[in-house]
Amino acid sequence: MNSALQIPDVALAPMLPLLITLAGAIFATLAFKLERRVTAIFSIAALALSGFSMLTLWNENLTSFGGGLRADNFALSFGLVILIGAVVALLVSLDSTRGASLHFPEFDALFMYSVTGMLLIAFSGDLIVMLIGLEIMSLAGYVLASLQGTRRSEEGGIKYFLLGSIGSAILIYGIALTFGATGTFAFGAIAQRIAVGGVANTGLLVAGALMMLAGFGFKVALAPFHQWTPDVYGGAPTVVTLFLSTVVKVAAFAGFIRVFGSALPGLQAWSGVAQILVGATLVIGNLGALNQNNFKRMLAYSAVAHTGFLGLALLADPAAGGPALVYYLLAYTFMTAGAVAILAILQPSERGFDVAALRGLYYRDPRLAVILTACLLSLAGLPPLAGFWGKLFVFQAAFQNGYVALVVLAAMMSVVALVYYVRPAALMFMPVTDTSVRPVVARPGVFTNVAIVSCAVGIVLLGVLPGLVMGWLTSRQMWVLALGGG
Amino acid sequence: MLHLFLFLPLAAALLLTMLPKNLKGTVAVGAALVNLALGVLLWTQGGAPLTSTPWIGSLGVTYTVEMTGPSLLLALVTSFMVVVSLVYTLRAVEQNGTMVTSVLAMTTGLLGIFAARDLVLFYVMFEFALIPALVMLAVYGEANRMGALVKFAAYTLFGSLLMLISIIGVKYLGGSPTFALQDLLAHPVRGAAQTWLFLGFLAAMAVKLPLFPLHAWLPDFHEQNHPSGVADAMGTLYKVGGYGLFVFALPLFPQAAETLRPLLMGLAAFTALYGAWIAFQQTNWKRLLAYAGLSHMGLVGLGLFSLNPIAETGGLYLLAFQNVYTGALFLAVGMLHARVGNVSTRQGGIMTTAGTLSGLTMALWFASIAVPGLAGFIGEFSVLLGAYQVNPWLAFLGGLSTIAAAAYALTAYQHTYWQVRPEGTIKVADLRGSELAVLAVPLAVAIFFGVYSLPALHLIQPYVQPAVTALGGGS
Repeated sequence: MNSALQIPDVALAPMLPLLITLAGAIFATLAFKLERRVTAIFSIAALALSGFSMLTLWNENLTSFGGGLRADNFALSFGLVILIGAVVALLVSLDSTRGASLHFPEFDALFMYSVTGMLLIAFSGDLIVMLIGLEIMSLAGYVLASLQGTRRSEEGGIKYFLLGSIGSAILIYGIALTFGATGTFAFGAIAQRIAVGGVANTGLLVAGALMMLAGFGFKVALAPFHQWTPDVYGGAPTVVTLFLSTVVKVAAFAGFIRVFGSALPGLQAWSGVAQILVGATLVIGNLGALNQNNFKRMLAYSAVAHTGFLGLALLADPAAGGPALVYYLLAYTFMTAGAVAILAILQPSERGFDVAALRGLYYRDPRLAVILTACLLSLAGLPPLAGFWGKLFVFQAAFQNGYVALVVLAAMMSVVALVYYVRPAALMFMPVTDTSVRPVVARPGVFTNVAIVSCAVGIVLLGVLPGLVMGWLTSRQMWVLALGGG
Repeated sequence: MLHLFLFLPLAAALLLTMLPKNLKGTVAVGAALVNLALGVLLWTQGGAPLTSTPWIGSLGVTYTVEMTGPSLLLALVTSFMVVVSLVYTLRAVEQNGTMVTSVLAMTTGLLGIFAARDLVLFYVMFEFALIPALVMLAVYGEANRMGALVKFAAYTLFGSLLMLISIIGVKYLGGSPTFALQDLLAHPVRGAAQTWLFLGFLAAMAVKLPLFPLHAWLPDFHEQNHPSGVADAMGTLYKVGGYGLFVFALPLFPQAAETLRPLLMGLAAFTALYGAWIAFQQTNWKRLLAYAGLSHMGLVGLGLFSLNPIAETGGLYLLAFQNVYTGALFLAVGMLHARVGNVSTRQGGIMTTAGTLSGLTMALWFASIAVPGLAGFIGEFSVLLGAYQVNPWLAFLGGLSTIAAAAYALTAYQHTYWQVRPEGTIKVADLRGSELAVLAVPLAVAIFFGVYSLPALHLIQPYVQPAVTALGGGS
C-alpha cells in the first residue's frame, strides 16, 4: 500500500484549448460595460486561438489528469468542428441578436461556457469528465434557448430544460450502473474489463449501457427521444437554433462515440437497440420534415433526419465510422449553419417563414438563392457537394459492418429527403406569379454574409476535394489509439 | 487534353456568370465550338488513354478517366448537340443567361459520365448532370413544373442511391483496393451477391434509360420543360442509362446479367412496344416525343441485354444517334411552339406556309422511325438482328415497335403538318436564319451516318466483341 501523497498529473498543454475558451467565457462574463459587439469579437478571437492551439497539439496524443482529459486526434478533430460551428454562430449573432432582443453580453458569456463544456466532452477520457462537460454545455444551452423574452422562446426553453434534464438523469443512472458493473469510470479501463471478462455483473453493465444510450439519444435527438427538437429548434431565436442544431449536436455526437466507441465497443447489447433507434430516426425525421410548411421547422426536422444518417457511423467499426462521423459532422455544420444563417437574414420574424415565401428569391437576390440552394442540395446529398461524401462515407462504414438493410433504408429515406429539400430550392428559381404570399427579402448583415460565404466555400471545397480533410482523419492508428487504447 | 475537353464547358459556365449580358451568347457558343473541336481532335488521335490519380487516397476513390470507343462517340455526339442547342437557345429563349450557363455546366457532367472509369467519379458526374437539368426546369418550366421536378428528382435519386449502395458493395465484397473500374474487374464479386449488386445498378440505369416501370418521370419532365425544346434536347442527351449498363453493369456482373437475360430482354421489348403504344395516343408533341424516346430506349435495352455483339453494337449506335435526331426533333417542336403557341398534334396545315420546317421535321422523323439510309435504321436493324439470334420471339415483339413507330409518327405528323389549316388561324412563318441550320445540320449528320456508318462502327465494334466474349455470351 502506497500511502505517500499522490500529486495529480496536471499537464497544461492538453488543457490549453479548453482554458483559452474558458478565458473567453470569463472575459465575456466580466465585460458587462462593453458593447456586445466587442465581446463577441473577443469571443471569436478566443475561439480562433483555441483552434490554433488544437492544431499545435495534432498527433501529440497528450493526456492530463491520468487520462481523464485526452487531447488525442479524436478530441482535436471533434473540437475543431465544434469551434468552426461556434464561430459561424457568433458571426450570425452579431447581426441578428438585436432583432431577436438578445443583444446583451450574457449571450456571449453563456455561449462561451457552453462551448467550453463541449470541448470538455470531446476531450474527456472518463465518464465523469464527459458528464461535467455535458452539463456545462446543457445548462448554458437551456438558458440560451429561453433568453429571449417571448412566450414561444420560454416555452421552448422550458421544454428543452425538462426533457434535457430527464436525459441527463437517465445518463447519470447509466453511468452509475456502468461504474457498478466495472468498477471504473475511465473509458479505456471499461473497455479492457469487458474485453477480458472482468465485469462484476453483466446485467448491470447492459442496463447501464442502454440507459446511457437513451441519455445520449435525448442529446442527439435520436428517435423516440427526439420529440423536443422540432419545438425547441422552431421556438428558439434563430441564432440559437443554429447553435443548438449544429454545434450542440456535434458535441453530443462526440460524447456518444467517446462512450460507445471507446468504452463499450465490445458490448453487442447496445448496438442491436441502437440499430432500431437509428432506423426509427431515419423514418420519423424524414417523414416529419416532409410535412412541414414552415422553413424553420423543416430545418428542425431535417436536423433529426441527419441524426439518423450520423447514427449509421456510430454503428460502424470505429476505424471507418470515426472519420466518416467527423467528416459528416463538418459537412453538416457547414450546410445546416449556412441554411439557418440565410434563414436568419431572410426571416421577417423569429418564427421563420413559409417555404412558399422563398419563391423567386433567385430574381431578387441571386447570390443568396444560389448559396441556399447549394446548402439544401448538399443536405440532400447531391454531389459534388460536401453532403454527398458524408453520406457515402457513413453508408460505406455501415455497409462494411454488415448493416446492409439499414443502409438501404437510409437510401430510401434520402429520396424522401430530396423531395423536401428540392421543393424550396426549386421555388427560389420560379418567378413570382401570384401575389397572395409575401416573398421574403434579405436584410443586410455584413457578418452573416461572411458566415454564409464561408459555409458555401466549405461545402464546395469539401465536395470537390474531400481528400483535404479525409487525408487527416483516416489514419487507422488514430482511431484505434483513441477508441481502443487505454 | 482530355481534362480540358471535360472541364472547359464548366469553366465557361462559371465565366458566364461574371460576363455582361450581351457577351454571354457569343462566349457560350464559342466555348461549345472549341469543345467540339477538342473532341474531334481527340477522335483523330484515337481517343484519350486511361489516366488515373488518387482523389481520396485513403478511401480508394480515384479520378480515373478514359475516352475511347463508345465513350468517345457518345461524347462527340453530346458536344455536337450542345452547339446546336446553344445556337437555338440564343435565338428562341428570352432571358437566356441561366439557360446557357446550365447547358454548359451540364455538358461537363455528361462528358464526365462518358469519361469516368471510377465508379464514384461516375456517380458524382451522374448526379452532377442532374443539377443543371433541375435548374432549367425550375427557371424555365411550364406552370405545373413543380410536380414534374420533384418526380424527376426523386425517381433519379431513388435509382442512384441503390446504385451507390451497389458501388460500395462491389468494392467491399470483391475486396478491391479502389473504386477504379480495372481494379474492380480484377476483384470480381461472385455468387448471389452479384445478382443483388447488379439489381442495384440496374435500378439507376433503368430510371435513366428509362425502362418500364421506372419511366413515369419522363413525359412530365418533357411536357413541363421550356417550350423552346432546348432543355429537352439536353434531356435526351441525358439518356446515359444504356451507356452505364454497357460500360459498368454488364462487365462487373456478367453472371447476373446472363442469368437475368431473358427477363431483362423481355422487359426491354415490352418497354419498346409499350412506349410506342402510348405515344400513339398522345396529342402533345412533347409527350409524344418522350414516349417515342421511351420506345427507342427499350430497343437500346433489348440490344444491350441480348449480350450479343451485333445487338450491342446496334444498341450503342442507336443510343448515340437517337440523341441527334430526337434532340433536333425537340427543337423542331420548339419552333412549332414559337409559331403557333402550342404543341398540340392537331394543328393542321402547317405545311402550306412553313414548308421547310415541315420538310425537315419529316426527314428527322424518318430518321427516328428507322427509315433505311438514315442513322436510326442501322441501330434498330442491328439490335433486332442480334436479338433475333438470342431470342426470336422477344426480337419479334421489339420489332413490332418499329412498325408502331411509323404509325404514331406519321399519324401525328399528318394531323399537324398536312390536313387543312383551320379557318381564321394565323399564317405560320417558315424557318429563318439559324433555325434552318439548327435542324439541317443534325439531319445531315443523321443522313451521313445512315449511309456511311463505318467511322462510328469503328469506334464501337472493337469494344463490343471483347466485352461480350468476357461475358461468355456471343452467338
